[in-house]
Amino acid sequence: MSDLFTNVFLSALLFGAVTAAVPLLLAGLGEQMSEKSGVLNIGIEGMMLMGAYTGFLGAYLTNSLWFGFLTGAVGGLLVSCIMVILCVRHGLNQIVIGIGLTLGCEGLTALLHHFQFSRTYPRLPAADPTVIPILSDIPVIGPAFFKQHLLVYIAVLLVFVATFIYRRTQLGLNLQAAGDKPAALDVSGVDVFRTRAFAVLATGTLAGLGGAYMANIGAGIFVPFITNGAGFLGIVLAMLARGRPVWVLIGAMVFGICLSLTTALQVAGINIPTDLIQMIPFLAVMAMLIMFGRRSTLPAALGIPYERGAR
Amino acid sequence: MKNYIISTASAIILSGVMLSGAFAAEVKSIAILTPEEGTDYGWNQQGVDGAKAAAKAAGIEAIVAQGLGYGDVRPTLRELAEGGASLMIAHASGYNTAAPEIAEETGVPVAIVDNPSAMKKGLVADYTLSGHEGAYLAGRMAAMMSRTKAVGIVVSGEPPSWNSQSAAFAQGVKAENPDVKVIYAVIGPAAYSDAAGGKRVTESVIAAGADIIFGQGNGSSFGMLQAVETTKATDGGKVYFIDVIGDKSPIDKGYLLSSVIWNIEPVYAAMIEDLKNDTFGTKSYSIGLADDSLKLLKTPQIPDDVWAKVQTLREDVISGAIKVEPIFEATQVRALMSDVKE
Repeated sequence: MSDLFTNVFLSALLFGAVTAAVPLLLAGLGEQMSEKSGVLNIGIEGMMLMGAYTGFLGAYLTNSLWFGFLTGAVGGLLVSCIMVILCVRHGLNQIVIGIGLTLGCEGLTALLHHFQFSRTYPRLPAADPTVIPILSDIPVIGPAFFKQHLLVYIAVLLVFVATFIYRRTQLGLNLQAAGDKPAALDVSGVDVFRTRAFAVLATGTLAGLGGAYMANIGAGIFVPFITNGAGFLGIVLAMLARGRPVWVLIGAMVFGICLSLTTALQVAGINIPTDLIQMIPFLAVMAMLIMFGRRSTLPAALGIPYERGAR
Repeated sequence: MKNYIISTASAIILSGVMLSGAFAAEVKSIAILTPEEGTDYGWNQQGVDGAKAAAKAAGIEAIVAQGLGYGDVRPTLRELAEGGASLMIAHASGYNTAAPEIAEETGVPVAIVDNPSAMKKGLVADYTLSGHEGAYLAGRMAAMMSRTKAVGIVVSGEPPSWNSQSAAFAQGVKAENPDVKVIYAVIGPAAYSDAAGGKRVTESVIAAGADIIFGQGNGSSFGMLQAVETTKATDGGKVYFIDVIGDKSPIDKGYLLSSVIWNIEPVYAAMIEDLKNDTFGTKSYSIGLADDSLKLLKTPQIPDDVWAKVQTLREDVISGAIKVEPIFEATQVRALMSDVKE
């Protein structure tokens, strides 16, 4: 068994953990912003899926991963526009619309894939990594964490950007107020609808980017239903992290590492039911975030449409 | 008296014709439901193609409902039943709870996979197929061709059909060369469309030393293929992929070593016959090397001498000189992998 656990293998496991974590991180950060503003965005799975499709399409047609990320973000953004119109502007039930958006995106992307790619299944070439000198030479950890695509570092940077926004900016305060006491925000002269719309659109953009990363880097191909519930995991991470971006990062990484751990246990030939092994990521994330994230709370007006003047 | 005899004889003949018609079910159309598109060069495509071919041979209509996902297919089943389908083939293990329920509700027979215990005469048939004979040959071939003396099995779930192929592949590897390691990894509990997971796990298995991957997945198998195409083996050489059920040659970039190809048409044809003969839901169905409903794909990546040896082994399996028993239980498969590794 020990001869299997070489540096190359361990690096591959950690590299895989990061690759699995990045879409969850982006989706989780987006969902967190939406929830902060009081909108429970169940449609994030559909936004990711649309981002995966448009992101792959963009990258495939132009041979540019960056253009693919742009089209992926735009794909997610477009889906989130529907959420803004129906849930933020017209106050329809956020859960029902979210489920509808997810199902609609599943059907639409499967249909588009059927007409465009279902006979050819094109694949993208391997992505060029951004190598960070010196750090990338560290055994095991170096190749896994410091030879990643540039978008991975940007995704981590976004955690700190989000933290800064929430703690140090007026926008952060507005988002918080839109989720906790939207009427107070309204009285202070800030447009609640506009604040919530901004949050939902940002969510769609980040989810679309996460989907594009999953298709273009994670898989190198788009297939129907490729997100496989990653958007819902993003919701779980955001809810358990309860407003703290860094906990979304930690949760996503724990999830990714546990996914790789399940592979390691199987490769090692541990003869316990695979279903048990594969519960590890979910149990680990829930246990960790419940233990350490329990002090923070969810916004009081989460999931409640804002109606000006309503009592 | 003469008129009496003629009318009696006519009545008897007419009754006989009517009764025979009543006992033999009329089969006008078959419907197949698949979770993904029937263009995946795999499980879904083989199912759709098989159903169409069987329907054409029987002179009946084939209705295809594809890309339904892995959720609740009850509404689709009801629609097809109301539309007059004589048989509904629920072509996914995830449908094997809903389909029997709808069969009971509507009275329209269904065929399901991976749940033989749900069989019911005239109403529910199971066609849990096993390509173990072909997978055994694939294992023998992989052991002959592996440079790193390590091969990988990557699966996106553990349904019985795939378990039997995983086990047979490992047995084939060990029968050919006991020194070759078999590395086994499951992507997820039901990660059939998880292409990213397929790529991630396959990359890890390659990093653990495997230079030939035996992959079983639906959409996720494209992720496995992508990993094989973009990752070098630990010896710096090329990694090859052995697929199952379908033929991905049209989209291959030179990494497809072979595939354990299933032809499901004879199975569906037998079901139509069973419906007509009122024996539906009373027997199991199988595919095998003997009638070519199961075969190994020959690609340019397989050297002629290796292929010749594999063909000899094929004859031995057909003749019974080599016995390959299917193993359907996941626990037994995993135990086998542990034993095989040591």
